[in-house]
Amino acid sequence: MAGMMTIKLVFSGGLELLFDNERNQSVLIPSFVPSDNSTHSPPSSSSSTSSSYNDTPSTGETKAADLEYLIYHLRDHLLKERPELFMENGTIRPGILVLINNTDWELEGEGSYQLRNNDEIVFISTLHGG
Amino acid sequence: MLSCGNPAVEEQALMPRRSKFGKSKDCVRCRLKPGNIAIRHAVYCKECFTPIVDMKFRKALEPSVNARAGTSKRPKLKASGNLCLGFSGGLGSSILLDMVHNTYFSNRPPLDDSGKPRGGINHPRNASVWPSCIVCYVEVCGAFPGMQDRTEAIRSVVERYPSFDFVPLRIEDAFDESWWTKVSGSNSTPQVWLELSKEGLITDGLHVASKVTGLTPAEAIRLYLSSLPTQTAISSALQNLTRVLILHTAHSGGSSHLLFGSSLTSLSISLLSAISQGGGYAIREELQEEWAPVAASGSKPDNVLRVIRPLRDVTAKECAVYAWWNNVFVIGRDKQRRAILGIAALTKNFVVGLEKDYPSTVSTIARTCEKLEPKDAPSGQCRLCKRPMQSAIQEWKGRISIRSYSDDKLAADLAHIPLPCRSNLDTSTPCQVPPLLALTDFLCYSCHTTLTSRSSRGVKQSAPGVSSITPLPIWVGDRGLHRDGLMDGGARRKIPEQEMLDTVANFLIDNQDDKE
Repeated sequence: MAGMMTIKLVFSGGLELLFDNERNQSVLIPSFVPSDNSTHSPPSSSSSTSSSYNDTPSTGETKAADLEYLIYHLRDHLLKERPELFMENGTIRPGILVLINNTDWELEGEGSYQLRNNDEIVFISTLHGG
Repeated sequence: MLSCGNPAVEEQALMPRRSKFGKSKDCVRCRLKPGNIAIRHAVYCKECFTPIVDMKFRKALEPSVNARAGTSKRPKLKASGNLCLGFSGGLGSSILLDMVHNTYFSNRPPLDDSGKPRGGINHPRNASVWPSCIVCYVEVCGAFPGMQDRTEAIRSVVERYPSFDFVPLRIEDAFDESWWTKVSGSNSTPQVWLELSKEGLITDGLHVASKVTGLTPAEAIRLYLSSLPTQTAISSALQNLTRVLILHTAHSGGSSHLLFGSSLTSLSISLLSAISQGGGYAIREELQEEWAPVAASGSKPDNVLRVIRPLRDVTAKECAVYAWWNNVFVIGRDKQRRAILGIAALTKNFVVGLEKDYPSTVSTIARTCEKLEPKDAPSGQCRLCKRPMQSAIQEWKGRISIRSYSDDKLAADLAHIPLPCRSNLDTSTPCQVPPLLALTDFLCYSCHTTLTSRSSRGVKQSAPGVSSITPLPIWVGDRGLHRDGLMDGGARRKIPEQEMLDTVANFLIDNQDDKE
């Protein structure tokens, strides 16, 4: 489907409990998303047209889909409970490690990393240590 | 060089955010490959990362293996006893299990999810450091009704390491005379009860109960925890009970070393949390200690247990990445304990947040605490937490706190205090010197705070007509309380059974068929 990317997700360290106990999932993310990270339009099935995702949102601003948008998308569409345990102050909650294709997201620009098709994003909670 | 913008020209002049790592994204160790992980401003590739963490683990552990340091720079490692690992199911514990097995028990590699050998690193030189290893796990579901028992799930994790023996404990063992008899050899230790609502824990509140109480260990621990004044006290009590249970189990089993999987992050959290609850005197023991139970004769036994935290230089982030890249299965800690509020949880939120933006600060907490040392020698071992006890605590408290409001000027200031909180303030009697013999003299300041701290919601009031008494862990009554002068030789008050039943009625598990 034009304009969509498949992003593979892995949740570990207890974080999977917030996502219906599914460790491995995947999502479809549009290539261009609202700059304000608005996720009002949920991803539809493959049978729908892609025109709705190319519509310019009311703010008129779009950006290439990045990790910051993905986090909002996960909170709004995949998270089953306790969003405060996943997101805090517009970003991933402290104590959750993010790996982009096996690389620390700090080395890839954190939230501003631009997503590519078939990227694997791993979210690991480090909060239950000891 | 980074610089701020000019606010006179730009409205939104902000200093560019400094990157969390050095200038290069290449591995600082091999300098050949691009880095995969940033650890405190240093970048490592995947291949160099695991050996770095292994090295930190061994550097923290191996200097303490041999009973005597010796003169050789690389001595042959040989411990004087067995090895005991404290296991909670958490991230650090799981990595500890894996590292210890791979480094010192690699004759039989660990198993993967399908039951096949996972393959380990062969270190023939280290194969015989400890003759055997036990893994202790303390199940806490007995303290929380409705909580799931995870013992068998934990057993299945430990069984992946064929060289380890699993030793499950239960938190209520702390109130079980049969467990105490097994680890201490003592079969006449009385169950000690305490009236917590009385300030000062004076001796007339210390009752030695007879054996016909009918209270099971699970009922006893629930009563104990419910009697504690704050969530912080409950959290602290559980930690102390868990630690002392494992200490005694390891020592009685002939272990020379006890390892915990506390990461640098967890350690920094527990250090700050302990200090904020009055545990500063035992800060060194929080890091590392040599422990032995005090014998009935008052002397220390020959075999001393070295308690070490080999992951104390490894952050939680490093632990998580290590587990991910080495396929270490982490079952996780119990949810109920994670939900407990209090100073420990607040400290954890603070330190974890700090680690995100200022990763070196977490290391600074641990390094600063390593430099702390108490001024004077301890005056014995706390009966409750089994840690060194500061001397003259009551004198010190008397100097820093107001014990009564007999002064007229102070009494006049009472007007601003809400009525419900005034009832326990004694304004009529002058300050009394605490009795010479009180349980407080045998508790460290931290344990005393745990038992008597005041909640912001006011003093806990017991139901009218029912005495507010609570059992204490079985080891408090060890070595004969009358020997320490806490109890008059023969004048022990036996609590009437009906009074006891009235007190514990709400905590009895409804299981009439099993009662004798």
